[in-house]
Amino acid sequence: MRTTSLRPTAALISFVALAACSSKGGDPARQYGADPYLPEPHEYLLPPMSVPKAIGWKAGEMPTVSAGLKIEALATGLEHPRTLYTLPNGDILVVESNSPGTEPYRPKDFIAGKVKSRAGAAAKGGNRITLLRNTDGNGKPELRTVFIDHLHSPYGIVLVDDTLYVANTDAILAFNYVPGATRITSPGVKLADLPAGPIDHHWTKSMTASADGSKLYVGVGSNSNITENGMDVEAGRAAIYEVDRLTGAKRIFASGTRNPTSVAFEPQTRQLFAVVNERDEIGPDLVPDYLTSIRQGGFYGWPYSYWGSHVDVRVHPQRPDLVAQAIKPDYGLSSHVAPLGLVFSEGQHLSPAFANGAFIGEHGSWDRSPLNGYQVIFVPFVEGRPVGKQIPVVTGFLGKDNETVHGRPVGLALDQSGALLVADDVGNAVWRVSATQPGT
Amino acid sequence: MLVQKPSGNVVSCGDLQGGQMRRPIGHRRARALLHGGFIGAGAVLLIAAFGTDYTYYTTALWQWANFSAWLITAGLIVMLVAVILLVIDFATGRAGRLNTGSFILVTAAALLSLVNAFVHSRDAWTSVVPQGILLSAVSTILLLIAGARGWSLAMSRATGDRP
Repeated sequence: MRTTSLRPTAALISFVALAACSSKGGDPARQYGADPYLPEPHEYLLPPMSVPKAIGWKAGEMPTVSAGLKIEALATGLEHPRTLYTLPNGDILVVESNSPGTEPYRPKDFIAGKVKSRAGAAAKGGNRITLLRNTDGNGKPELRTVFIDHLHSPYGIVLVDDTLYVANTDAILAFNYVPGATRITSPGVKLADLPAGPIDHHWTKSMTASADGSKLYVGVGSNSNITENGMDVEAGRAAIYEVDRLTGAKRIFASGTRNPTSVAFEPQTRQLFAVVNERDEIGPDLVPDYLTSIRQGGFYGWPYSYWGSHVDVRVHPQRPDLVAQAIKPDYGLSSHVAPLGLVFSEGQHLSPAFANGAFIGEHGSWDRSPLNGYQVIFVPFVEGRPVGKQIPVVTGFLGKDNETVHGRPVGLALDQSGALLVADDVGNAVWRVSATQPGT
Repeated sequence: MLVQKPSGNVVSCGDLQGGQMRRPIGHRRARALLHGGFIGAGAVLLIAAFGTDYTYYTTALWQWANFSAWLITAGLIVMLVAVILLVIDFATGRAGRLNTGSFILVTAAALLSLVNAFVHSRDAWTSVVPQGILLSAVSTILLLIAGARGWSLAMSRATGDRP
């Protein structure tokens, strides 16, 4: 392989071929479900990119919901809201956050910075948690306070007993929580360090707790797209950790998950699931992002392979032994949709169709044309497994011209009434989706 | 040490005085071309990228590929400066005839390096192997030949010779 490809003529021919080949993505529906269509990988001189310009929502504009649902803005004017969490008393926590900021390492990082800022992804995060109290359930919070301030790129959040855990990008902090509290001023106590700088390419630390509350599960993303920052900085990354809640002792529960941006337990089987953002720059239809159950000790391929044993030639040296062990994910969501939010439905609050399954917030693509994602979908589950076709639930985040974007969905949660909450980090809003005919 | 005198003959240092003495009376003093040194500086950066590519090829240590990406970017920026100075050399009458052979060599190396900058913007192993290092090697050969011919892409107008 190497001897032939080193020949000048072969290389020049391949350049011409790359320049000529179509870089348009196909129908995303071919990549939904357990057995997605996987084209041959391509490398580009300039990877296909399509970045809609962030324009936000004007007064009265809002996302579109499927039939039988209504949507309203629960909060606006937030600072880059990313994740949501509902406390037992119904109070809603909004984590406002963004990347801690990284120094450019390579010439292309300057270009990437420009792209991100056009898409509204470079906006400063609030580094805080805002509390919304909506006791009467009318969608208009009667109280809004800064709940915890001065955090360090927070993302995951979970309450166990009277302790609220916040996953900053570099550590899990524990805060004492008194029911009904509207503000926590006491400093958090560090439970455990998490892999962070100096690069911290994928900075989000998603988090959930086991049903008995004894363990926390933390998703840690890779420190690169595909090891271009070296293997040293990938130590302990692209993994899901299990952290003992009392001692803070942590171990890698599963690995090879490139960027596990949300982790959650399926309510019937108590099985851990994650949505994972897969690698970029080998084509508009590679690699499908996915929803999968997470097995203890499981290896899910990154960086050596994708979707089971499909080898990624960009990684050197290769590890055929690990490729042989790589687990195929359960359910493809199609390529570059960037699933960031995951919440399981709990009953028929929105619709009988959404009684059993997972809502997924798709932040939307940047290195694919046509655009993909930019919606909240529902994946039906049967007996604790994702099956069947995904259903769009909240759409209309993109402008009609497909070149502008009003908002991008991120984290999801259910409020006390079972309504679906959607964080929108470009529209800087939290949307509340509920049934038009309540009480079903 | 050898010094090239305006007539193009190679003479020893001791002969320099005599060479200047032989300049025709009334001949305008040749003004140095501005671009030549920058061609050489840009070429050094682009040639160095072949060295770092080769080291990455043998070690797979990412920082060498990172060096290559920066060296090629910096080399292209210096080459761009050289092109601007070459235009100024022509515009201000410093430069006479274009030195076609060197011009083609350096232009080809710069264009290949521009492609190579994009190849090096890929991630990890395939940002260098095989296409990146191949382009670095070809650029290096072209630039070494251009260097052996002297870095200037044009003749100095005053003497009809290289500065």
